[in-house]
Amino acid sequence: MIKFDNVSKRYTGGHEALSAISFEIGTGEMAFITGRSGAGKSSLLKLILAMERASTGALFVDGVNINRLSRRQIAQHRRKIGAVFQDHQLLFDRCVFDNVALPLEICGYWPQDARRRVRAALDKVDLLRKERLYPEMLSGGEQQRVGIARAVVNRPSIILADEPTGNLDPDLSADVMNVFQQFRDVGVSLLVASHDISLISNLDCRTITLEAGKITEDYRGGGG
Amino acid sequence: MKSQSSQRSHSNQRRASPSLSTWVQIHRKTALQSWQRLLKTPASSFATVFVIAVGLLLPALLYGVSANLSSVLDNLNGTAQISLFMDNGSTASELRRLSEDLLSDHAISSVALISSEQALEEFSAATGLSDLSQQLSDNPLPATLVVTPVNADPESVATLAARLEGTSHVELVRVDSQWIQRLAAASQLVAVSGQILTIVVVLGLFFIVGNTIRLAIENRRDEITVVKLVGGTDAFAARPFLYSGMYYGLGGGMLATVLQFAIFIGFNSALQDLLQLYESNFHLQGFGFTSSAALVLGGGAIGWLGAVLASFRQIAAISP
Ligand SMILES: Nc1ncnc2c1ncn2[C@@H]1O[C@H](COP(=O)(O)OP(=O)(O)OP(=O)(O)O)[C@@H](O)[C@H]1O
Ligand SMILES: [Mg+2]
Repeated sequence: MIKFDNVSKRYTGGHEALSAISFEIGTGEMAFITGRSGAGKSSLLKLILAMERASTGALFVDGVNINRLSRRQIAQHRRKIGAVFQDHQLLFDRCVFDNVALPLEICGYWPQDARRRVRAALDKVDLLRKERLYPEMLSGGEQQRVGIARAVVNRPSIILADEPTGNLDPDLSADVMNVFQQFRDVGVSLLVASHDISLISNLDCRTITLEAGKITEDYRGGGG
Repeated sequence: MKSQSSQRSHSNQRRASPSLSTWVQIHRKTALQSWQRLLKTPASSFATVFVIAVGLLLPALLYGVSANLSSVLDNLNGTAQISLFMDNGSTASELRRLSEDLLSDHAISSVALISSEQALEEFSAATGLSDLSQQLSDNPLPATLVVTPVNADPESVATLAARLEGTSHVELVRVDSQWIQRLAAASQLVAVSGQILTIVVVLGLFFIVGNTIRLAIENRRDEITVVKLVGGTDAFAARPFLYSGMYYGLGGGMLATVLQFAIFIGFNSALQDLLQLYESNFHLQGFGFTSSAALVLGGGAIGWLGAVLASFRQIAAISP
């Protein structure tokens, strides 16, 4: 589903954030990306979302070379992906409900359909009662969960999550991982960047470790 | 937290190609949101609308003037006349003979004889100096033959007038159509200025709307970023701004219509007072459904297009 082939990313400043990255995530596979701050976890996810372009190497998603996409194709590509951003990326002048509904609005959903799906997604992250609030009225963890609901609302075939449990207590983190595993069980590929070691080791999933832009370990995991 | 595997079976049912009614619903929502956004900053929105209105009003007024001038000209068309002022020695029979001669001329369609007595009567009546004729021992007014040419165009009228110049007993030949020609030239000038002004104003309005929209986009950069991150196209991100541009233009067009109406009312009442003196049944033109619709729709189109031009590159430049 996702295939990195010798990908390097050098930012305009000259800093090489990723060097010679090669790995593959299959359909219905869930993997963690871990590593210290600045190791390149976010950069790797941004490449998949076409927010950044690989400097060298090829990156395939669903068999399509991401580096070759046109603007319009990038938009189409992003609709297949549910993304949780490290900095949430919420719309602050829209309520929780409308934030979560945004991907459906973009895809042109029948509003009644959209309403049902948004409610289901909010229910998954336990925010149904706050659907009419605005993001600034929410705690950091609640905002994060709005981002998670938005990522899953369109039932994407790929979910990318950048520190999705950064602001969550262990119970909520476990809940979020539960939701992710449900998606994996129905064939969604997931890539989760996290430095929450205890959470990762509990799940015993595949774990790719980055160090200064290079893969130093690719633990295959026992739990799937 | 719910299990979701049961729901997945009926996913993907209504996406990709939204039906027409879905499309309408989505547009209606965007349209409403854009409208509410404009209302959040009423002062600056109104300022933009007002500037657009004034811009639209200027060429509209010129077109009004030009339309009225040409309708005046239409009324006057075919009324070119040549007046032959006779010398005082010509007798009534000579006048009658001359007018018969003139009537047989193939370039002349009709001849009217105004005797010197008739001329004095008309003059007294028109000026209100009724007893003037009694006081004057001698009638100072000459008899006049008013000739209507077959061809009313300036050239043939001038040729005919030159030919009549040498007729015996004719003291003076005067062509009565020169002021019509001048009016026609003036009306032409007004029409051309109107066209040039329209082009200048439309360009200016593009600039004004474009600038307003550019600022709005700059203020909502974060929002556009988010929209693009979750798969929104440039067109989707631009849509609310296109609605804003259209609202500005429509608002400007409506305000221009109102202002034009106010000016029309004020001008028309003054004009009717004036026209009453002349017993004219002339009516002001250039204000009606068509011109109002043109202002409103034209304004809306300019606003929309100005927003398209402004947002096109700027939204493309935001590429997270
Ligand atoms: N837009 C950018 N321009 C230049 N350098 C960048 C840019 N984004 C990231 N970097 C650099 O690339 C490196 C990797 O950054 P990245 O955000 O991928 O790290 P990360 O692993 O996600 O860290 P964290 O755990 O703190 O989120 C860092 O050294 C950072 O300074
Ligand atoms: Mg990061």
